This record gives sequence, C-alpha cells and structure tokens, in this order.
Amino acid sequence: MSKEELESQLSAMFDDELPGEECELLARRLARDEQLRERWGRYAAIGACIRGEPGVRLQTTLAGKVSAALKQESAQNGVPATDRHRHGWVRPWVTSLAGLASAAAVAAVAILWMRSEAPALVAHNAPVQNPPAAPSLQSLPATAPQLAAVSPAVRVHQSHEPDSYVTPAAVAQAPSLVPPTELANYIVAHSAYSGPLMRRNALSALVAGDSAAPQVNAQPIPAVVTGK
Amino acid sequence: MTADASDLSLVQRVQRGDKGAFDVLVLKYQHKVVKLVMRYVRNPAEAEDIAQDAFIKAYRALPQFRGDSAFYTWLYRIAINTAKNAVVARDRNPVDFDLDMTNNDESYEMQGRLKDSETPEALVLTDEIRTTVNAAIANLPDDLRTAIVLRELEGLSYEEIAATMDCPVGTVRSRIFRAREAIDSRLREVFEGGLGRAEEIG
Repeated sequence: MSKEELESQLSAMFDDELPGEECELLARRLARDEQLRERWGRYAAIGACIRGEPGVRLQTTLAGKVSAALKQESAQNGVPATDRHRHGWVRPWVTSLAGLASAAAVAAVAILWMRSEAPALVAHNAPVQNPPAAPSLQSLPATAPQLAAVSPAVRVHQSHEPDSYVTPAAVAQAPSLVPPTELANYIVAHSAYSGPLMRRNALSALVAGDSAAPQVNAQPIPAVVTGK
Repeated sequence: MTADASDLSLVQRVQRGDKGAFDVLVLKYQHKVVKLVMRYVRNPAEAEDIAQDAFIKAYRALPQFRGDSAFYTWLYRIAINTAKNAVVARDRNPVDFDLDMTNNDESYEMQGRLKDSETPEALVLTDEIRTTVNAAIANLPDDLRTAIVLRELEGLSYEEIAATMDCPVGTVRSRIFRAREAIDSRLREVFEGGLGRAEEIG
C-alpha cells in the first residue's frame, strides 16, 4: 500500500468513513506508528481550528498527560487498570449471586412468616362485604343467605380474586347452613385453578348440598374445581 | 460501512491491552472533550484537568464498554459527569474560588484569560496555529474547501457531502484527504519542529 493510500485511509478513518475490516488493520498500525499518530493528532487539531475550539495545539499535552497518569497508576498497582477490570469480572458475578441469595432468603422468611400468621391475619382481616350480585346467584334465592354467611371468608373483591384463601374457624363452627371448614378451605385453596364464577358455583353447590344433605363431603368438589 | 467502526476497532484494541490505541482515541477527542467541559468551567486549565480525569475514567471503564452506543457518546457522558462532579467539589470547597467572579460573566472571561496568560507562549502558539490553518483553508480550491468545511464544521457524512456537492462518495473522500494534506503540509512548514515546540510549551 502506498503512503498516500495509507494517509487517505487515515483521513477516512478519522471521519468514521472507513470500512470495519480496514479500520482493524489501520488501528493496529496506528497504535504503533508514532508518525501516523502525530498526523492523526494534527487532523484533530485542524478540525478543532475550523470549529473554533479553544486551546488548540498541534499536539496537546493532554494525551501525554493521560498516558503518563495511566502508566504511573499501573506502575503503582502492578496491573494496568483495564487488566484489573478484565480479571475482575468475577466480582460483579459474585455480587449478583450474593444479591440473589439474599433475596431468596428474604422471600423464604416472608413465606414462612405468612404461613404461620395467615389464619390469624384472616381472622383479623375480615370486614363483612357482600358478594357482587352475580346473575347466577340471583337465580338461586334459596342459597343467597347461605352465601352471605360464607362470604366474609372468601372476600371477593372487584377484581374477583379473593384476598385470602382460608376460612376462619368461627365460620366453620356455624350451624348446618355453613359447609365444614376443611371443605371450604379446600375449595378456596384450589381456587387458583378455577375462575371466579366456577368458584362461586362450587361454593353455591356446596352450601346447597350441605343444607340438603350434611353428609355430602368433598366428592363433587374436585370436578368443579379442576373444571377450568 | 459501519458507523463508528474506527472508534470501535480502537476500543477493541484497548480492551485487548493496547494502550497506544487509547492514545489515538485521546488525540481524536481531546479538543471536543475540553470544549464540552468548558461549558461547566470557564477556566481552560481546569477544563483540561477535568478532561484528563474524564479520559482516565474512560480508560478504567473501557472494559465494560460493549458498544451499545457510539464511543464518543459514552465518552461525552463520562466527561459531563466528571465536570459536574468537579464543579460540585469545587463549590463545596471554594478555597481557590474567587467569589467576586461568581455573578460576572465578564470577570469570568477575564479569569479565563488570566489563567491563559500564565502560559503566554501557549496562547500565542494557539493563535498562530489558528491563523495558519485559516490561511491554508482560504488558499484551498473551492471544492476542497467546501468538502472539508462541510465535514468539520457541519459534521456531514461523506454521503451527505456527496449529495450536497453532487459528486461520488469516493470523490468526497479524496477531496477531504487532499484538503487535510494541504493544511497539514502548511502547518508543518510553519512549525518546523513544531511538535517539539508544542511539547516544550505545554
């Protein structure tokens, strides 16, 4: 390659207009060819003059100062800054792992605490709230009062998702209109797998079945709950 | 053609441990960074110190640079943060900060000039370089002058310049190169051994 061609490439590279593969080769040469680097510095100075930038020098001492500071730093530390970073890749990895571990520990503690505290929370939690008036329920006037008795435990909100899935013991101990506590708990515990309407129907069926025949237990429930 | 390919190839060399490649990047961007920093501090000497810090920080952070943005965008962000931090630090510890100059732009300018006048030779040299470059540009043929000015002053790409000047991209590349060579050769004539002189003055 002729000198002129090389310098033409340098000019194009300075403007970010040289193809990538040619840049690779020229960057290698530029990094070790002092004269070429001086020319590069003068191209920068010419541009700075045209743009009226302050403090233009043909070869400002800034590059030299930066280079000297980096050399001094690497001499003091034994390892160049970029090398320290390159070998220091383990540190961010370990840091993120430790972060994940602590997050998991906090989550585990929270789950354990919630499990132990959940029944008590529900017992404290439960302001009575009427269930939303679903057409299917209105068509079953006989079961409406029974559902009203069950509703404090289920606590259906506007989003139709229950706040808590545990029936308070007090409700379970109510007379025959209310289904057994374990059964109701079973339904609401598995309600994540059914829609709100299915859940309501299951509870209605349970309440109705319970009032008609108190011995009807969990048998119909699985079919309803898994029916989604 | 890859945008920012030249910077990226230099950055990759630095990441592989080639310090010379970082010098090339510093040479390319030092004027721009100093100019940027001078938006935050008026004192050229302080601006140069901050720019130096910014380049050192950039060098340290370069292994984390993945090329998601252009190198100069990334470098400018570092420079701005360094400048802001320097201003905050200076305001916290205003020992060498003249309160009389806080609300007076003219005084600020004076402060800058006074700092510059601490190295009058450097100031003269800068003016001399500027005069030489301007004279060389004035003597360029129209097509070369237009090409180099559109590139350096307007920041147009070769393709945009080609569209503006109604010529092929290759011609633009050649014109810009020839313009640079003409100016550079004039500079070398005037500053025979000028690089050494600049080193002495700096």
